[in-house]
This record gives sequence, C-alpha cells and structure tokens, in this order.
Amino acid sequence: MPAQALNRICYVEDDEDIQRIVRMSLERVGKMTVEVVGDPLVAIDRIIAFKPDLVMLDWMMPGMDGPTLYRKMLETPETKSMPVVFITAKASQRELDELRKLGAAGTISKPFSPKDLPEQLRAIWQALP
Amino acid sequence: MNSPSTAAPQVSAAESIDLRQSADPRRILADRVRQLYSQMPLAIVGSFLISAIAAYELREGRFVEIVVFWAGLVVLLTLACAGLYWGYRKSARKIEEAAQWLRWLGISALAIGATWGFAGAVFFPSHADEQQVFLALVISLLVAAGIPIYAVSWPIYAAYAAGILFPFTYVLATFGNKLFAEIALIVPAFYLLNVGIAYRLNGVFDSGFRLRHAYGKLTEDYTALNQRLEQQLVELEEARRQVEASGRKLALFAERSPIAVFEFDPAGRILSANPAAETLFGFSSREMVGRPGTDTLFPSGAKDDIRARWRSLIQSREPVFGLRLSNTRRDGAEITCEWSLTPLVNPENLVISVIVQGRDITQQLEAERMKQEFTSTLSHELRTPLTSIIGSLQLINSGVLGEIEKDTLELTTIAERNGQRLLDLINDILDVEKIESGKLTLFPEVLDLGELVNESLALNRGFADGFKVRLATAGELAQVRVNADRKRLLQVMTNLLSNAAKFSPEGSVVDVTLENIDGGKVRVGVHDCGPGIPEDFRDRIFGRFAQADMSYTRQKGGTGLGLSICKRLLEMMGGRIGFSGREGSGTTFWFELPQQA
Repeated sequence: MPAQALNRICYVEDDEDIQRIVRMSLERVGKMTVEVVGDPLVAIDRIIAFKPDLVMLDWMMPGMDGPTLYRKMLETPETKSMPVVFITAKASQRELDELRKLGAAGTISKPFSPKDLPEQLRAIWQALP
Repeated sequence: MNSPSTAAPQVSAAESIDLRQSADPRRILADRVRQLYSQMPLAIVGSFLISAIAAYELREGRFVEIVVFWAGLVVLLTLACAGLYWGYRKSARKIEEAAQWLRWLGISALAIGATWGFAGAVFFPSHADEQQVFLALVISLLVAAGIPIYAVSWPIYAAYAAGILFPFTYVLATFGNKLFAEIALIVPAFYLLNVGIAYRLNGVFDSGFRLRHAYGKLTEDYTALNQRLEQQLVELEEARRQVEASGRKLALFAERSPIAVFEFDPAGRILSANPAAETLFGFSSREMVGRPGTDTLFPSGAKDDIRARWRSLIQSREPVFGLRLSNTRRDGAEITCEWSLTPLVNPENLVISVIVQGRDITQQLEAERMKQEFTSTLSHELRTPLTSIIGSLQLINSGVLGEIEKDTLELTTIAERNGQRLLDLINDILDVEKIESGKLTLFPEVLDLGELVNESLALNRGFADGFKVRLATAGELAQVRVNADRKRLLQVMTNLLSNAAKFSPEGSVVDVTLENIDGGKVRVGVHDCGPGIPEDFRDRIFGRFAQADMSYTRQKGGTGLGLSICKRLLEMMGGRIGFSGREGSGTTFWFELPQQA
C-alpha cells in the first residue's frame, strides 16, 4: 500500500461528457486533483508533465486505443511505473485478464457510478504493493 | 464308393425307423384298443353261437343241470361283453382311458376263455367219445379263432387261450388214458405256438399302427411346412415391396432434398450426386461422377488435409456430423459447408460407400459474425451515452452539487431509475446473447458460499429498502465451499433477492437460508411473502421474457430475462434452480450447487 493518499489523477478520455462527469465526481466527491486529456496521441507528454499518482485510461478512443497507449506508457521510462486503471464498456474478460498480466492496476466498467468512483479508485490504490 | 442313388434308400430306411418312433405312443395304444373292440361283436356273436350248438350237443349227458348252468354262464358273459362293448362305443375318452379299456377287454377275454375251459374240464370226462371229439374240435377252433381277434394284444390272447386250454390239459393228463396223456403233452406246445404267432402278429400290428401315425404326422408336418412356406413367400413379397417403396422414397428424398447429397466409393470417388449438389457446386452430376471428391469440391491447399480425414473415416467406419469445411464451387468461389458423413458398412465390416450430406453455411456464418459485431458495437455505443446519463443524474441526485428543488429531484430520480432499467435490459440481452452463442466464459473459483450470500444481501439492501422490505438470513449461515464464478453467482443472488423484494408486501422480511442437502450439494433458498406464482405461469417461469403479468414490468421494472439467465448460469456451474410454494402464500426460490470438498 502506497505511503501517501491518492490525490492526483490523470484521465485520458475522448468523450467530453464523460470527461466532465469524471472530473466532477473526482473533484467534488473525491476531493482529488484531476487532469483530463482528450487526445490520446498527446497523452504521454501530458502525463509526464502532470506527474499523477494514478492514470485512468478509456478503452476505445479514436487515434489510439487504451491498451496501445498503456503499452506506450510501459515503454516510456517516466510513465512505466505509474499505476493504470482502465475504464471500459466493452472488453472481454480475456482481454482484461491480459491487461492485468501486463500490470494494469485494475478495471472499472462503464457505466460506473460517479458517486462511488473515488472509493473504487481508492480501493485499487490501497491494494497496490 | 456310395453313389447318391445307393445312399438314398439307406437314408430313407433310417428315416423310416425314426419316423415310426416319432409316433405318439398314446395314440398307438388307443388304436390298438379300438382294433380289439372292433372285433368284439364278431367274437361275442361267434362265441354265443358256438356255445348254443355245444350246449345242444352236450344236453344228453349225465349232468344236464351243469350244462344248463354253463349255458346260463355263457349268456351272462355274453351280456357282460355286449355291455362292455356298448360302454366303449359310448366313451368320449377312448384315447385318454385306452389302458383302462384294454384291461377290461383282457378280463373279458380271460372270462370267455375260462368259461370254455370250464366246459372242456367238466364235459369232456362226462360224455361219450363222439362228444369228446366234438368238444376237442370246438376247443381247438376257439383257440385258433382267438388269434385274429386278440392278436393285437398278445398278452390278452395268451390269457384267453390259457383260460381255455389249461383246465382241458389238466383233464386230459389225469384222465387215465395213455392217448389222452400224450395229447395233454401236445396241447401246451400248441398253446405256445399260438401265443408265438399272436406275439408276431402283435408286432406286425404295432408296426403298422406306428407307421400309420408317423405318416399322419408327416402329412401334418408337410402341410404345416407348406403353409409356413406360403406365408413366408407372402411376407417376402411384402418385404420386397416395402424395400422397393422405401428405396423409391429415399431416392425421392435425395432428389428433392435442399441439402447436397453425394455417395462416394471408399476411395473417395463420387458415385452419385443429387440436384441440390449440382446447384451448390455448379457441376452436373455426369461431370462429377467418377471424379475424386478432393479434386472437384475442395480448394487445392486443403487436399492433403481432406485425404487424411477421409482415410481416418474409412478406417474408423464411424459417422461424422457437423464437420465444417471450406469448399470451392465450379466458378472458383470459396464457400463453407457443414457436412455429415455416414459410411455404409457390409456384414463383413467393409465400407461399401459413404453417404455425404452437406449444406452451404457461408451466409449463416457471415450473419453470425455480423450479429456478434452488432451486439458488441451496440453494447459499447449504448453504454457510453448511458454512462453520461446515469452518471450525471447520480451526481445531481446525490446532492454533491448542492440542494435541488423537490419536484426537480423527483423527476431526476425517475430519470436515473429508468436509465438504470435500460442498462439492466441491455446487460441481460447481452448475457442471453453470450449464453446462446456459447461465448459466455465462467471463471470459477473456490469460494465460501455463506460469505457470498452475506455480500449479496449487503449489495441489495439499498434496493430492498426502496420497497420497504428487509433482507435477512435465518440465523448464522454455515461455512460451505463451492466452486463457482463469483461475479455470476452474485448476479444470480441479486436477481433472486431483487425479485423477492419487488414482489413482497411492504414491511415484510425476505429470508435467506443455506443448507447442506443429500448428494454432496448445498442449497440456498430465498423465501418471500409475496402473492406466489400463478399456476399457469409456473411452466414458463424460467423462459425468456417471462413475467406473470406484463403490468408488473411497468410497475416494478425488470426485463423478464433474469430467471432464464440464472437458470443457464447455474447449469453451467453444475447446479440447478427451482421454486416451491403456493399461489397466495409466498414463494421460495432455491438453487443448488455441488459442494466443494
């Protein structure tokens, strides 16, 4: 379990409506600091700049999907050890298991409850080694 | 060396012995008795007439009273014999009681013989020479005449002749006359000779009766055989007609079948093809017959694989069903077909030919693929906006954004609840689709069922509160381990608990029990105090879109898919689901799972 409490979250998501709901949920309910990135192609730079505690990735995005972005993060020294949580409406159990094997910290399925989202993230955060 | 013509009589002689032995001994005895009784009228009349003449001739002796007595005896005996004969004629049980009738006839023969023996013994010494000669002649005549009458049973004849001759011989031997003494020595020899003849005749009669019966039986057998043969011929003809008709039917089936039907020889060459096969592959039957199936119907790259499959089919002789293979049409188009192959095997266990039926499933596969893609896209495309809708409403309704006016809150709560219903429906439809297409994978793990039940109660308390129903366990739940998919089992529990809450009256309690049952299984029961399941709904409760009353859907929500999904999920985990209870007195829904050691 990490020493400090979960505070800084970077969320990569192309859907602006969901961006807004997640921001509200994490900021208002979870009292966290949130950076939202709409374009996955610039995400790595933005993540490096923001230095989040945890990164949330949408699964299906135009330009680059979540799993590909995650692999890129693993190849990047500054981001490779960051915990990553996938938010998905689609993935099969096998794909989710594969991501877990690669090292993803957890998955949250859509639709999620914005009331419970901060708690869900904290539970994942506390389960980290 | 035996030629067939010399061997034949030997065989027939042996057969005739067998034939005689095959006759029924009861019937032979009955025949002999009948023969004996048929001679009786002649014997009675003859004996009576001779007795009358003898009595007349002997009347002048010294013992007239004895002659009268003897004559009376003869009359009585004649009447008795006539009575016996009449009794036999009237008897309905001539065959069954043959032995008894034979005994009575033997007694009557002995009595007749003894009557004459009495006459010989008493009248011979008391009469003059002429009458003695007359008497001796009569006695000889009677002994000789007895042969044709009684020879069918030599012991009867022996008794009859002994009855006549033994007293007479005694009188001759003790008369005191040397000539008579010598005659007395000859009489037993005469007796033995006659009994010997009777014995031989008895044998001849016996053999005759046996042959007659055997022949009768043979005729019966022959007639029966003939009838059977005729019957079999009729049946054979009927069978031939049926085979012909079913052959015509089969040919018609193959000809009109929308499925391609081929017959292949064991080497894999096409022997025949039906019109559907011609249409499917674009070749005429004449073009295909005689050609190897691998060259005609399959893409060139698949030939080695097809040949290997064919060899294993011919070796195993076992039919193959549902085999999906890529095929090529005459125009080069590649199609996918589903094949059934049935080897026809002769009594020597060799494959004569192989019947191969196939249908084009290219379009079906494409439709399945499109359906899956559609479902998957639908799932994503519906969930994403629902995430925004439900998420926004939840944030508003939770109050984190500040107080909202009461009427607005009421409406946004309705919107959130219905958004959730829409999501439930989508999830259920996706589950059904996955189960039906066999794409649903379970992730079983060994887990404590009691803990899982408690967890499901905690998860659904909020929902039950909305219906003012309390969820509770009946005491402490036992620790039982099962091997099941955690997420899917929670889904089952959620379904049963939410159903129970929805249909229970306000203020009531839904009880959950957990018990070990026979056969190493564990049963979880969810007991409600609801209206019960209507009788006419019980059969289809686990069917899809099943709700007892469609108005419930609007009142209480639910898709009507939940229980059918639960049923399939539990079956996939090796368990089963059911319910008990009567209409109007609450219901218990239960499921069973195998207990993990």
